[in-house]
Amino acid sequence: MQRLWLSGRILAAGARLVVQHVFRCDEEQPLEVIYSFPLPRDAALRGFRITGEGFEAHSELRPTEEAVKAYEKGVADGSLAAVLRHYGDGVVNLTVGNIRPHETVTLYLELLAGVELRDNGFRFRYPFTLAPAYHSRMRAAVTAGEGELELPADEFGDMILPRFRKDAAGLHEVGFQLDVLHQLPVDEVASPSHSIRVKQNGGSPVQVALSTEKDVPNRDLVLDVNFRESAAQVLAGSTGDGRRNFAAVAPSTLFGAQTTAPRRTVVVLDRSGSMGGVPIEQAKKAIEACLATLSPDDAFGIVAFDDKVEMFDSSLQPGSREQRARARAFLDQVTARGGTELAPAVAAAAKVLNGGGDLFILTDGQVAGTERILEQARATGVRLFSLGIGSASQDRFLSLLARETGGVSRFVTPRERVDLAAVDLFASMGRPVASQLKAGPHIQPELPRQVFAGTPVLVFGEIEDSSGESIELSWDGGRLALPIPEGDAATGETVRLLQGSRLITDWEVRYPAEEALAPLEKRKQSRVAIRLQELSQKYGLSSREMSLVAVVKRAGDRPGELPETRVVPVGMAQDTKFGAYFGSPGNLTACAMPAPPAQAVTMVFGSSSPRVPESAAPPSSLAQRARELLRGTKFAKPPATFQGEGRSAARRSEEDDLLDLAAQLEPDGGMPGETASVRVGRTIAALLAFVAAGHTASSGAFRSHVARLVEFLRRASGVPAGEQRVIDRALAAADAGKAPGGGWQALAAAPSANWKEIEKALG
Amino acid sequence: MTLAELAEASGLPARTIRFYIARRVLNGPVKAGRGAVYGREHLARLEQIQRLQAEGRTIAEIGRMDGHREKAVPAARGTAWWQHAIAEDVMVWVRDGLSPWRTRQVRAAIEEMAGRLRMSHDEE
Repeated sequence: MQRLWLSGRILAAGARLVVQHVFRCDEEQPLEVIYSFPLPRDAALRGFRITGEGFEAHSELRPTEEAVKAYEKGVADGSLAAVLRHYGDGVVNLTVGNIRPHETVTLYLELLAGVELRDNGFRFRYPFTLAPAYHSRMRAAVTAGEGELELPADEFGDMILPRFRKDAAGLHEVGFQLDVLHQLPVDEVASPSHSIRVKQNGGSPVQVALSTEKDVPNRDLVLDVNFRESAAQVLAGSTGDGRRNFAAVAPSTLFGAQTTAPRRTVVVLDRSGSMGGVPIEQAKKAIEACLATLSPDDAFGIVAFDDKVEMFDSSLQPGSREQRARARAFLDQVTARGGTELAPAVAAAAKVLNGGGDLFILTDGQVAGTERILEQARATGVRLFSLGIGSASQDRFLSLLARETGGVSRFVTPRERVDLAAVDLFASMGRPVASQLKAGPHIQPELPRQVFAGTPVLVFGEIEDSSGESIELSWDGGRLALPIPEGDAATGETVRLLQGSRLITDWEVRYPAEEALAPLEKRKQSRVAIRLQELSQKYGLSSREMSLVAVVKRAGDRPGELPETRVVPVGMAQDTKFGAYFGSPGNLTACAMPAPPAQAVTMVFGSSSPRVPESAAPPSSLAQRARELLRGTKFAKPPATFQGEGRSAARRSEEDDLLDLAAQLEPDGGMPGETASVRVGRTIAALLAFVAAGHTASSGAFRSHVARLVEFLRRASGVPAGEQRVIDRALAAADAGKAPGGGWQALAAAPSANWKEIEKALG
Repeated sequence: MTLAELAEASGLPARTIRFYIARRVLNGPVKAGRGAVYGREHLARLEQIQRLQAEGRTIAEIGRMDGHREKAVPAARGTAWWQHAIAEDVMVWVRDGLSPWRTRQVRAAIEEMAGRLRMSHDEE
């Protein structure tokens, strides 16, 4: 493949995209090219156009079995043929057969994709590569310097994964040029993944493009669109036959206030090898800060998992000082290692929860066979909140994991602050702003039953064009009506397709396990397969049951000629270690470990005395040795030279200091101290440190901490009049969201309260 | 038989068979071009490949096993290794950077070995 270029329009409810794929055959024989890519969240394929010298053809949507047969017949006839087929885990194989020697073929693929919604904007992700994922039966190999993964055919069929190159330079070029359509004024469009050029012109679409000529396929495109305000948006338009389709984004601020009921939460921490380096350290720190928002009435648990599950405790524990100290000690010994067996961890965590409550999963989600995990997670009946760290390949899975269980998901790149995202998401858990959410008729898919702070509700539906109806939402203690504008036909068609894409995504993960693995011909009678066929036909979108195919007859086609199959390589996803999946392929001479013997056996028992690094020094007893091996401590990550290879090293920042402060909160919401006066003084300083950094009791990642600090100060009794005046001034500043200047962090961190400084800074 | 017939007989999709031919784990058709023909040996080989895959072999390994044309990865020189002293007189070397599932296998093997040595030690 020569080029992959993304264009299209992104709206608040999702994106309608066109991806240009350019294939050129530089060989002296016809080629069959297989390009494998993951679907973004809530995505489906609408169709493709294939062009070349003297031809242009459009795809047809056909039942998958028929599409494959048509493709094979086309290849056997010597024609140019192309087929796009969905597999499990949202992986798509694009296969183009019979590209002639020195021929260039361009395929334009149209697809729909969802976005990750936030109250004041959204995050759009598009995968330019496919991150490898763990499966207990996966086989890995390195051939000619490229990593290959093979998944068991009884579970994944004939899906072919790309080859992975450690260095993506020299692979096909990638790039993008996108328009962001917006109803609300745009504050900022930013990308943590690529260098972008943004052209904003009042109310017109914001144009976003790669600022360089081209890039390499080793990471996903991530775009953040932030609006200046948080308000409802309704997109609509007539779609013919007297119907009007709509999509509404209703921010959580339109619902109620967060409840204050005690929280029951189990944190599930992925400690697999792929989390090694900065992500796991940030995740551990974040968990400590999250637990600091708990009161003794709240209850928590922690489960750490790789291919084994390790539990902090077999039952929920109160958020007391003692239990938090125990939790800290538990987290201290958690290091990254092993594979990602998520399903047993979810089952174990659900058992700890033993009733209502939430699971909070921190994972890179780099796992294959996700439909089974989803099925098992649904069966536990608990609500899952997921914080994904890593590649867009897993964004689809983790968003489904949360949605299918009634929770919320967030996804960050490994180069972003995992800890702040975790604290932010944790703040909205367990205490919905609306429960028993219901909508009027014409709404599909069903709405979540609860709404959580920070995450809007996305509503898709269809009404009669002339009805003048509104979108009616009601919940315990409230209701809301959003008028549906007339809109325009183009917007109406886009939201109709986004609705279809979302419905197909939801149904694709509902195959019972035995049906998902069944051959196509045996799956025909499946309830899920029938529903997917209906949806595909209604919306004109592909699914596991309906695929896109085109066959182009050209002059001079030579029937029976066997094309040579080539699998398009992609770059190893940035921040994912090649060695974590494929072993160490090259020389690692910079490693601080001793070199191995040339002949391992003879050297081990030979005359030379190998240098043993301190980190690998033999333990003092055999029992200890066995324990260490069991814990995998000997398999700890390689030396610092290799840790976090490609990941940005965390530099000490204001956020780091705030996290340290956050983790110090006592169960009563105040800062620690030897006397009541010291505690109050430090609590004032901590509160103003958060407020000065832009966090209030209702906004910012540390909103829960701010709320608890405020609560502590409001409850403070028996305080001398002078100190009470300072408390009142600090609370007023917090209410106003404006803290006067002062070295608040230093004052809060000091072991004693410097009342004179605090008073002086408050003015 | 044709490719379609070979696919039918082996239960493998035609695309997979072409992939195996491209990977040199399966020979190409006996007769190329219009009317390409595959023989019983192709079917037997496909059955063998499926068997080997079920035993945990990768396509790359299968290609290497019987002298097919895949390039073997040269053993890394200067690669990092971890030492595991599992008894006073036994040291095990494990190459750094193994895949997670391989690490799991190795860890289990070392655990077993350490356990056995500990038992022998205790019996003494």
